[in-house]
Amino acid sequence: MLFSEAKNRKVVSSSDAATVGKVARFVVDPALRQVVALELRKTDDGDLLRWADISAFGTDAVTVAGAGAIGTATSEIQELADKHRRILGKRLLTSAGDELGEVADVAFDPQTGTLESLVLDKGHEVSASRLLGVGTYAVVVRTED
Amino acid sequence: MRLMRTSEIAKRPVVTFAGEDVAQVKDIVYAAGGGQVAGFTLAGRGLFAGPLKQALPWKAVVGLGADAVVIRDTTVLEPTKAVIESSRASGGSGADVLGSQVLTDAGVDLGVVRDVVVAVTEGAGGHCDVVGYEIEASAALGTQGEKVLIPLPDTLAASGEHLMVPASAKDFVGRDLAGFGAAVDAFRAQLGGAS
Repeated sequence: MLFSEAKNRKVVSSSDAATVGKVARFVVDPALRQVVALELRKTDDGDLLRWADISAFGTDAVTVAGAGAIGTATSEIQELADKHRRILGKRLLTSAGDELGEVADVAFDPQTGTLESLVLDKGHEVSASRLLGVGTYAVVVRTED
Repeated sequence: MRLMRTSEIAKRPVVTFAGEDVAQVKDIVYAAGGGQVAGFTLAGRGLFAGPLKQALPWKAVVGLGADAVVIRDTTVLEPTKAVIESSRASGGSGADVLGSQVLTDAGVDLGVVRDVVVAVTEGAGGHCDVVGYEIEASAALGTQGEKVLIPLPDTLAASGEHLMVPASAKDFVGRDLAGFGAAVDAFRAQLGGAS
């Protein structure tokens, strides 16, 4: 599944079937190559849903046990959610020092939250297993051998 | 092996694996009598940032590409003084070759150095060798005033005023970086065969 497809997806509580929010952004831990949380829009209880608190990431909705799963960010996640560390729109740099393009989208496994690949604006795809870091300046990936 | 002009390396950002641009290249520090790149002095990023007290030794460079110099993290940086001193110990800055006159060992003036061409070898323990100069050609090359590339031998004599190259260097003059690597190899092979 792509970040672009999953954006704006409803987050629904299975205890009362109410919509508790909408997916706004993905918080990624580059070291784990994993989505660690979702930033939500229009919620009463906070704006963060940890990946561990998701019941299912379905094609039409993300389900959670109850509205209680939505909360505020822990400092660790807050740091990863910092706007300087967003992947989308950032230049992709190889460890050889060459820019391959801009990250336009990210493919991930909805079962596990594991990042699969980075999709570049030029259509090119880079395996997420090559990811080294996401910083203010660039997304850095290991160069191909 | 990749060729590039050192003028293109200056100002290139220095980026960590974590994706932060922690510095930019200020100057190139040479070693081995100007035959090799020993590292880079650094400046801060941004318009008003000045020189940094830390420099980047070549051994800590993971990648030097068209767009950035990549390093693991900032712990690999060393005090600028140490990088420059170790370069001096290995026989030379060679940093002031720009503007020097290139003379062949036959006493012919080939032109004035405008840029330095380096070859980057990829991988661990890779080198950054000085393989040629871009010179503003003299009358001797028949293309006076034009910028051309001349290959260099592995080791060369430089005084700051003059650079001595073997006379045959002028037979391997190149116009652009694309075919220049082969010219350098051919030139060096011919020198090796002659000795």
